[in-house]
Amino acid sequence: MSTPFTGTRHLLRLIVRRDRIRLPVWLVGLGGMIAVSALLVPPIYDTPEKIAGYASAVGTSPVSYLMSGRQAGIDTIGGIVANEISQVAQLGICLMVMFLVVRHTRTEEETGRAELLRSTVLGRHAATLAGLLYGVAAALLIGLATTASMLAAGLDGVGSATYGVGLTLLGLCYAGVSLVAAQLSTSARGALGLAGTAIAIGYLIRGVGAMQDNALVWASPFGWAQRMDAFGAERWLPALPLVALTAALLLLAAWLTAHRDFGGGLLQTRPGQPRASRFLGTPVGLALRLQRGLLIGWAIGLTALGLLYGAVIPTIPDLVASNPDIAQVIGASADAEQALIDAFLRYIFLFMAVVSTGFAVTSVLRLRAEEESGRAEVVLATRIRRTSWVGATVLVAGLGALALSLLMGLGLAMGYGLGMGEWDRLAGQLGGQLSYLPGVLLVAAVAVAITGLLPRWSLLAWAGVAFVFFQVMLGETLRLPDWVDGISPFWHLPGLPVETFEPLPAVTELVLAAALVLLGLCGYRRRDVAAG
Amino acid sequence: MLCQDGVVTAIKLHDIVKTFGPVRALDGLHLTVEPGEVHGFLGPNGAGKSTTIRVLLGLLKADSGSTRLLGGDPWRQAADLHRRIAYVPGDVTLWPNLTGGEVIDVLGRMRGGLDEKRRAEMLERFELDPRKKARTYSKGNRQKVALVAALASRAELYLLDEPTSGLDPLMEAEFQRAVLELKHEGATVLLSSHILAEAEALSDRISIIRAGRVVQRGSLAELRHLTRTTVIAETAMPATAVAAVEGVHNPQFLDGRVIFDVDSDHLDAAVKALAALGVQSLTAHPPTLKELFLRQYGEEVTA
Repeated sequence: MSTPFTGTRHLLRLIVRRDRIRLPVWLVGLGGMIAVSALLVPPIYDTPEKIAGYASAVGTSPVSYLMSGRQAGIDTIGGIVANEISQVAQLGICLMVMFLVVRHTRTEEETGRAELLRSTVLGRHAATLAGLLYGVAAALLIGLATTASMLAAGLDGVGSATYGVGLTLLGLCYAGVSLVAAQLSTSARGALGLAGTAIAIGYLIRGVGAMQDNALVWASPFGWAQRMDAFGAERWLPALPLVALTAALLLLAAWLTAHRDFGGGLLQTRPGQPRASRFLGTPVGLALRLQRGLLIGWAIGLTALGLLYGAVIPTIPDLVASNPDIAQVIGASADAEQALIDAFLRYIFLFMAVVSTGFAVTSVLRLRAEEESGRAEVVLATRIRRTSWVGATVLVAGLGALALSLLMGLGLAMGYGLGMGEWDRLAGQLGGQLSYLPGVLLVAAVAVAITGLLPRWSLLAWAGVAFVFFQVMLGETLRLPDWVDGISPFWHLPGLPVETFEPLPAVTELVLAAALVLLGLCGYRRRDVAAG
Repeated sequence: MLCQDGVVTAIKLHDIVKTFGPVRALDGLHLTVEPGEVHGFLGPNGAGKSTTIRVLLGLLKADSGSTRLLGGDPWRQAADLHRRIAYVPGDVTLWPNLTGGEVIDVLGRMRGGLDEKRRAEMLERFELDPRKKARTYSKGNRQKVALVAALASRAELYLLDEPTSGLDPLMEAEFQRAVLELKHEGATVLLSSHILAEAEALSDRISIIRAGRVVQRGSLAELRHLTRTTVIAETAMPATAVAAVEGVHNPQFLDGRVIFDVDSDHLDAAVKALAALGVQSLTAHPPTLKELFLRQYGEEVTA
């Protein structure tokens, strides 16, 4: 007897087999970040004075409300931990289920792989259900890991459990959102765009509601999860709208699946231009067009990040005055207000530069994707030389990284300027952010060299990104030896604005980057262009 | 490289070897294509057709052997030679966020310019909507985009790797017309295919490739000469004697009829033997390309 769900079990096994690396990376990456934060935060706030200081600083910081909402029990260590991890945990779990669910529903359908499976004994809803169950399982595991980490950190049991449940339910809710998005849009990119927008809206509504302390928080799944008040009153009522919305979304997704054609959706792609612009017919034009979406996404995200960090600067002196440990964390040596702000800025410049290596490497690795898909072959069968083709992509990656640096610096200066009403430091902040660009370019250049010389190993380029992250986040805490720290190009750059600018490290790194790019170009010229 | 008569050979591959790890994709391949001919390049999947074309495009570097394309070395002079070439890949993938029209223009401009009139004409003939995003095209429509991009440019040499895969029969016929037009204009075409009827209809000469080697080459007539003719005859007297004639294969006797295959060089002897038995009806047909093809592949089974 076959039901609309026949074959779900087989599909799930296929999904787990296909994602045997991807899923653990998500779980260990996200779960690990949550666990490390949960364990590292309590030792910093080891006295009632420090806890009170945190509570009063956060309780007066609109930026904290905007980013993390109003956490209950902020005057307890549990509340502090929850507040510290909430951004990573809440956004992380939503993004994770979004990527996983869309990957196994709409992406499969768009690429035509699902068609092959649909032709076997498979119920109409089997693919949707399998994608959902997979997302649910991943969300559950993150929820469990979070509760376990909190318990391991010695936090209150009921609070830890409530927090984990709230987080999991939030994940389930956005699994439903992603499932509906995957039914609406005919392309995986479109589905990710829809679901991502829904996440951003939910997050922002909660933030604005928390900032203004009004009922707007109740209009967002993020608000419901938070208003379960883990480490505070621990209320279960707000879980109801989360569950109800999830159920409604699942019914909607099922209805949409039943009422649309295979491969179809409700949102049709708009027709585009019948002719290409003159610029598009050049390697740089094509590379820019292919990376346009990537660049715009990163530009918006990083500008917003810069703005938020800029806006938080005015609250630094208060925050640090109440907790000297924070000064230690961000590496301030003097307690003068300006020195603290400079130390914070240095940390933010470095952090944002390291984040932007993610763009640079993604951008460079597009080269490999073009090659593997066979699209590079078609271009290289024209009069375009390999060096121009690779050079164009590298140029777009480099200029993109430069543009992102400028935007991050500008965002930071704007946020700071709006908060402080001072605009005289704008140039310094732009320059400060730019001073870290050579490190970004060097990481990207390593990716170019690997793609040119060892194409099969091009994913290794991500190890560079992972390492600079690791070094910046934990290098000081773990007291790594200099030679390990020194692998990161950022370690050699002067730490503006605390230190003064020196051209030598920057120039050395730029020369090194250029040499690596040349090496990659030579490799690409000499080797086979492998398709498929 | 000049031939004796002074015309540059379009393609001259000599003893090409290309290995991928332990796999010998091309194993001493010889291929010659003369200017102005449509050359059918036939073989089963995995025989090395696409690898050969990628070597010709300078995308892959042959381990050994010499490669000449329009008189040049495609590995060293790729970009210069590519101005004179149009290519349709076997497995067409397009940039999902570009429209079909944009892809055609991009490839055309990168190749060095499109013939606007031909572009419009080909879009019309292949019934392609250039405004649709590539991600929404079916396999057949993606194939049409690559075909229009190649056919709308004026090239000396067209390298077409299984160009009709995914096309419906009407579009296949349109494609055949377009190739014949190219031929009349004097262009050279290397047409890789496993669709026999297509190669039979279009090709002046044919090379059959199997396991990285060309195992048979020549014009269709020459190839047929090398192979067997099928004879069906009705004779007054039992035709058992025919079985004894040299070069006759698989004789079958059914209600006074005999059906057999005979090597083309022994056809004369076989017909004489039949004549002596009193021929009442006689049909003979030359081997189709399919039979040629199966015979070449058939050896794979026993090999």
